[in-house]
Amino acid sequence: MQPSLKLKDDRTGRYLPVIYPEEIPFWEAAKQRELKLQRCNSCGKAWYPIGPACPFCFSTDFAWSPMSGRGTLHNYVIYHKAWTPWFEKRVPYAVVQVQLEEGPRLTTNLLNCPLDAIRIGMPVEASYEDITDEITLVQFRPAKAGN
Amino acid sequence: MTEVARALRDKTAVCGTGLLIGDYPDQTPLSLAVEAYQRALDDAGLKREDVDGIIMLSFGSDYDRFLEAVGTDVRYAYQGWSHGRFVAPMLQHAAMAVATGMAKAVAIVHGRRRKAYGQTADHEMWRQGLGPHGESPAYGALGPVFGAAIAAQRYFHMYGGSNVDLAPIAVAFRKHARLNPLSVRRDPMSIEDYLKSRWIIEPLRLFDCCQNNDGGACLIITSAERARDCRKPPVYISGMQGVHAGRQFHNLTLPGLGVAQQEVYKYKPTKEDLHAYQMAGITNKDVDALITYDAFSPLVLFGLERFGFCGPGEAREFVKDGRIEIGGELPVNTSGGLLSEGHVIGWNLFIEAVRQLRHECGERQVKDVNIVQYGSFLGESVIFRR
Repeated sequence: MQPSLKLKDDRTGRYLPVIYPEEIPFWEAAKQRELKLQRCNSCGKAWYPIGPACPFCFSTDFAWSPMSGRGTLHNYVIYHKAWTPWFEKRVPYAVVQVQLEEGPRLTTNLLNCPLDAIRIGMPVEASYEDITDEITLVQFRPAKAGN
Repeated sequence: MTEVARALRDKTAVCGTGLLIGDYPDQTPLSLAVEAYQRALDDAGLKREDVDGIIMLSFGSDYDRFLEAVGTDVRYAYQGWSHGRFVAPMLQHAAMAVATGMAKAVAIVHGRRRKAYGQTADHEMWRQGLGPHGESPAYGALGPVFGAAIAAQRYFHMYGGSNVDLAPIAVAFRKHARLNPLSVRRDPMSIEDYLKSRWIIEPLRLFDCCQNNDGGACLIITSAERARDCRKPPVYISGMQGVHAGRQFHNLTLPGLGVAQQEVYKYKPTKEDLHAYQMAGITNKDVDALITYDAFSPLVLFGLERFGFCGPGEAREFVKDGRIEIGGELPVNTSGGLLSEGHVIGWNLFIEAVRQLRHECGERQVKDVNIVQYGSFLGESVIFRR
């Protein structure tokens, strides 16, 4: 995978994430339907946003590590205003922040969940959405019972 | 508190202001900045030769282009990132430059059009590791308002309440704006009108958000001694403290709310969090009016709790029953704020502090006002005294 500075998909008009060089392992894992974040080899903590050093102990010795994909819904808001034509067809939609079991919080969407069923504290699990041939977003969905 | 901080109390002052708010379709960021500068010089009774420092934020014209345009050479030039939270630091840098003799008078100048070349902030949303208000465009987390909406949601989750609790803020500031001839939004607003306004990002409505408009602003800072020789009464800078930043201080959020990577706890300011009061030799009980950053209404709750005007989770009750209105216990944003006077990044909030302390506010004048605090949710503050 290569870094990408493309902001919008020419075909669909959907906004894309910028792929920064040091974030490539995250995007490559997502394409394989796996959630990987950096985990510190000194203090053992995982962190987000992706960055060159552990924000907890400032070590630069880390490994890209699989996360469990399990977490709880920590926060959500519901967009009614559409910022671009692509979003006009999607409002109202929710943007959520998920707290992973490992600690970091991700800003993401909750798939397969009606807006009125969203609750802070609900268990969620990672899900994946291919948005172009190259890019897969890490998304979340309500956790299946027993997980 | 350091000796220097004590020594700088009331040693610098605002001596001139200029402000333009509204629609200026035939102007550019540069011409709005120049006009604001001319107005501030005139307000102070100074000539451009008297100004030897310039500070700008990089939204409109850059400082070098501006100085070429106004034919002024300075010995102190500085430019920062144009976000509301950096207006207070610009004023503080100006005061420190004057206090240390790096400049005799510093003009802080701003000009901006809603749509103009060379000033767009759109690409900030794609910044590495989320945008400056937490934006993440691929997930539809768009616009600065996102930061305020996620903070408001967490606040309501922790302390109870809902969007309805924000209505008294929007309504109070609209009342203030109706007493201000410069205001952009002047229609009367009731709680019912507020509740009828459309959702932008739930839990925030249209009337929880400031609008976008053109504007220009200038404040001139000089020594207290020189300010006393200017045309208008000096407004002294008594105390100040900076923008607090880091993982615990997400933008548009109070610490402790658990936005992004913040810890979750009930925030109460410590003594260190209130340096500006110590520098000014006051407590928050001495503050006659509070000016706080209000691009979005929840920020007012956070500003009140940040400086201990009320305890954790108590601001949503505090803002009711006219308490934050002119004539109330603690008048807040007496100009109408960004929500109703207009969006001049925050420069207009500081200019309102000056106008109040000069007793220039006519119908919206806070009676016997002596001390006005600018204090915002990220902790940046300037305490002004007449």
